[in-house]
Order: sequence, then structure tokens, then C-alpha cells
Amino acid sequence: MKRQIQVLYHYVMHFVLQWFGSRSFVFTLAINQAMPPLVGLAVWTSALPGQRLSSYYLALLFTRLATVSYENHTFSGRIYNGELADDLLLPAPVVLRTLGENLALRCWHLLIGLPLMLAIPFVLQVEFELGHVVLALPAVGIAACLQFLFTYTLALTAFWTERAHGMAGFGATLIFLLGGEAAPITLLPGGLRTLGEALPFRAMHGFPAEIAAGTLTQSAMLTGYAWQILWLGCFVLIAAQVWRAGIRRYTAVGG
Amino acid sequence: MHLIRLMRGIIAISVQRELTHRANMAFEALVALVGAAAGLLALSIVFTHTPTLAGWSQGETVVLLGTFQIISGLLAAFVEPNLSWFNGKVYDGQLDEILLKPVPSLFMASLGVCHPWSLVSVGLGIAITAAGVAQLEQAPSSARLLLFLLLLLAGTVLAWAARAIVACVAFWAPRFEPDVLYDAFWQLGRYPVSIYHPLIQRLLVTLVPVAFITAIPAQALTRGSDLATLAGALAAAAISIGVAGTVWQAGLRRYTGATA
Repeated sequence: MKRQIQVLYHYVMHFVLQWFGSRSFVFTLAINQAMPPLVGLAVWTSALPGQRLSSYYLALLFTRLATVSYENHTFSGRIYNGELADDLLLPAPVVLRTLGENLALRCWHLLIGLPLMLAIPFVLQVEFELGHVVLALPAVGIAACLQFLFTYTLALTAFWTERAHGMAGFGATLIFLLGGEAAPITLLPGGLRTLGEALPFRAMHGFPAEIAAGTLTQSAMLTGYAWQILWLGCFVLIAAQVWRAGIRRYTAVGG
Repeated sequence: MHLIRLMRGIIAISVQRELTHRANMAFEALVALVGAAAGLLALSIVFTHTPTLAGWSQGETVVLLGTFQIISGLLAAFVEPNLSWFNGKVYDGQLDEILLKPVPSLFMASLGVCHPWSLVSVGLGIAITAAGVAQLEQAPSSARLLLFLLLLLAGTVLAWAARAIVACVAFWAPRFEPDVLYDAFWQLGRYPVSIYHPLIQRLLVTLVPVAFITAIPAQALTRGSDLATLAGALAAAAISIGVAGTVWQAGLRRYTGATA
């Protein structure tokens, strides 16, 4: 385990430096990721002025940048062009490389998004309670794991289809609608709200922002955490099963 | 006339090529359908809490979304397959091939390949616009519809020109990739521009003129417009073609080719 953590650390450092070489591209990616929560902020503060939606969408911006996942780009490509064969020969789990790149990209996104996250509270007079922020941090961590596992599993569909990128696009649409981005889950109409609370998309996106904004009661927060842990268990099992099934189908270049 | 014949040929070849991947076609149609449905649903959620969004009624906002979808679909079908990651073509010298062809290089570089299945998005945009019109208190007259179509045409030309000018940045800064950033700001055009901060509003009528491109046709259809606006839009479209051509030529003078 210690060795694997060391390998992961080296991958993270490697990719932090590698992506530094493409910093202007990472900058555009980070701005692109920041845009949907900012649009949500503009739409909802215009539709319902005076509600605590600014703090929700600012927290959602942080969650989005901290949980960003591009495995449909970084990992699917290695399956398609046969580079996965190199990874399979290494004496470490294949997922470590992908996870390392994921964490490096998240570091860059947070760093680039930091000035934005510091400026918005001054412009819009957004306030957070420290207690709520502390309670939200573990939820951000679980959301980050969920988001990685979700995108990684969708990226693994590259073993079966050439449309892994489209599959990830479907996932992103579901997160947009039911993850608390198009609207905070509490503002969804009746049936859709119940569905949104139970499905994993809120757990991987909007739930930490709801805690940080202080819009949840204690029992609602505990229920949310329970859903997160339940979905985390499910996602780990699903990702492992899909990987096992996919790798049996894999034929490397020349194989 | 020569360019129209050429365009017909480009579309025919692209359709033939894409017809060999029918499963892809069905999948892309499904992706476009889900995306459009999500956009509509998101709007309808907003309007369960408010009767208007920055002064736009639900029907008007849906028409705006439909107009945005139509122009975005046209760009995705005809322009994006050529100009996305354009800086790579400048960097690698891939423009050489285009420059050697006996047709205007800007035409070939920006419209030389098309992706016909993105026209599904255009169809969905038309359906969304029709759904928005059905929600209006008063159905638009045929004169308004004609005005809408002409303004849509002017908006599409402007959108092409703006996208071509953004691509030309590659001649001066080939390492900079403005595509993702431009697209991020372009997406802001699906909502009324007045919901944004004044600074963003200014950006959306100048650098990324999506507010101008989508809102004016949508307003013409929902609230009516006048001939002066139409004349202004057509003039702006004509000027934009000239500006795009000038910037392109200036950029080409900096291009050194693959072997230089």
C-alpha cells in the first residue's frame, strides 16, 4: 500500500509538471469548467433575487473544480491507440496512472480557479459559516472519488465502443440536470426532487455545496452522507467489474 | 456560383462518408436529443419559480434557446469540423494543402469539410423555437417570421466570421488554444444576456457576439422588429465577411508552411 501511494505521488508530480507545459490549455479548460456554475448563479440570482443561492453556486464552483475528471479523454485514448499495453506491463495497478493525472489536473484547476473564487465573494457579498464549510469538506472528498469512479467507468466503455466520449457526455448531461447544476435540488419540482436526492449525481456534485451554503438540516445532511457512502461502495464495485470484463476484451496493437 | 457548386460537392462527399457509420449517426442524434431536452427542462425548472427571467417570458426564452440551438447546430455542422483545433494546423503546416487549392483559402479552411449529422441539432432547434412560439400569447405574423429568418441568416454569417477571426489568432499565437474558451463564452448565449454581470454583457456583444447573434432574431420573432434593424444586421454581416477576410490575409502573411 505504501509503495502504491509512492507510485501515485510520483505520477501526480509527473503530470503536474507535464500539464504545466500546456498551461494555456489547462487555463482554458478551467475557465470552461467554471462557466456552468457561474451561469447557474446568474440565472438563479436573476430568477430568485435575495435567496442564498450565491453561496450555493460559489461552493458548487469549488466542488466542480475539485472533482473535475477527464478520463474519457486521458484514459479512453490509451485504450484506443494501444498505449494501455505499456501500462499493463508495469508492476503497479493501471488505475494509478489515470488517478495521478486526474489529481494533477484537479490541482491545476483549483489553482487557476482560486482568483475567481476569491473575487466573487467580494463582488456579490457572499458569506460562508466556517462550521458549514468544515462539514462540507469530507463531502467534497467523497464527491471527488465518486466523480472519478463515474467518469473512469464511462471511459472504460472504450473497450466495447468507439463512443466513450459520447457516453461521458451523457453522464455530464445527467449531472447537469440532476446533480444540482441546472437548479439546486431543493428547487426541483416534487418527483424530480425525490429522484435527484436519491440518485448519485447530487452526491457527486451538488450535495457538498448544499452543506457549505447551510441549506440543509442536520438529518438531511446525514441522509446525504449515507447516500454518498452507499453510492461510493456501488461505484467501486461497478468500476472493478467493468475493468475486469473490459480487459478480457482488450487486444493491444498487433495483438 | 462556383463556391455554391463546391459547397454542394463538399456536403455530398461528407454525407457519403458519414453514411458508412450509421450507428454513429443514431448515437449522435440521441446525444443531441438528450442535450436539447436537458436544456428545455432546465429552463422549465427556472420558470416554475418565476414568471419572467430578466424581462423575458418563458415562451420568449424558449425561442431564444431554439435560436441559439439552430445557429450552434449550423456552426457544428459546417464550421467546427474545420476550425476546431485550428492552431494545430498552423503549427504543423497542414494549411499548405488548403493554400494550394484553386479556391479562396478562407472558404476551404473554414467550410471545406462538413459534419452533416450536426444538422439534427438544427432540426431540434427549429422544434424548440416552434415550442416557444406556441407558448407566446400572440402567434407571430408571417412578416415577423420572414424577418426572423433573414436575421437568422445574418446572425449565422456573423457567427461564422467571428469564429474564423478567433481561429486566426493561431497565426500570431499558435500555442494558444482559444477554442475551448470561445465555446465556454458562446454557451452563455442560451439565456437572456441581461442576467449576466455588465462586464460579461459587454463581452457578449463584442468579443464573442453571441448575444447579438441570437437575441436579435429571437426578439424579432417574439416582439417584432423593424427594417432598420434588419438593414443594420445585414450590413454587419457583410462587414464581418470583409473583416474576417482581411484578418485571414494578414494572418496568412505570417504563415510559414510545413517546410519553412
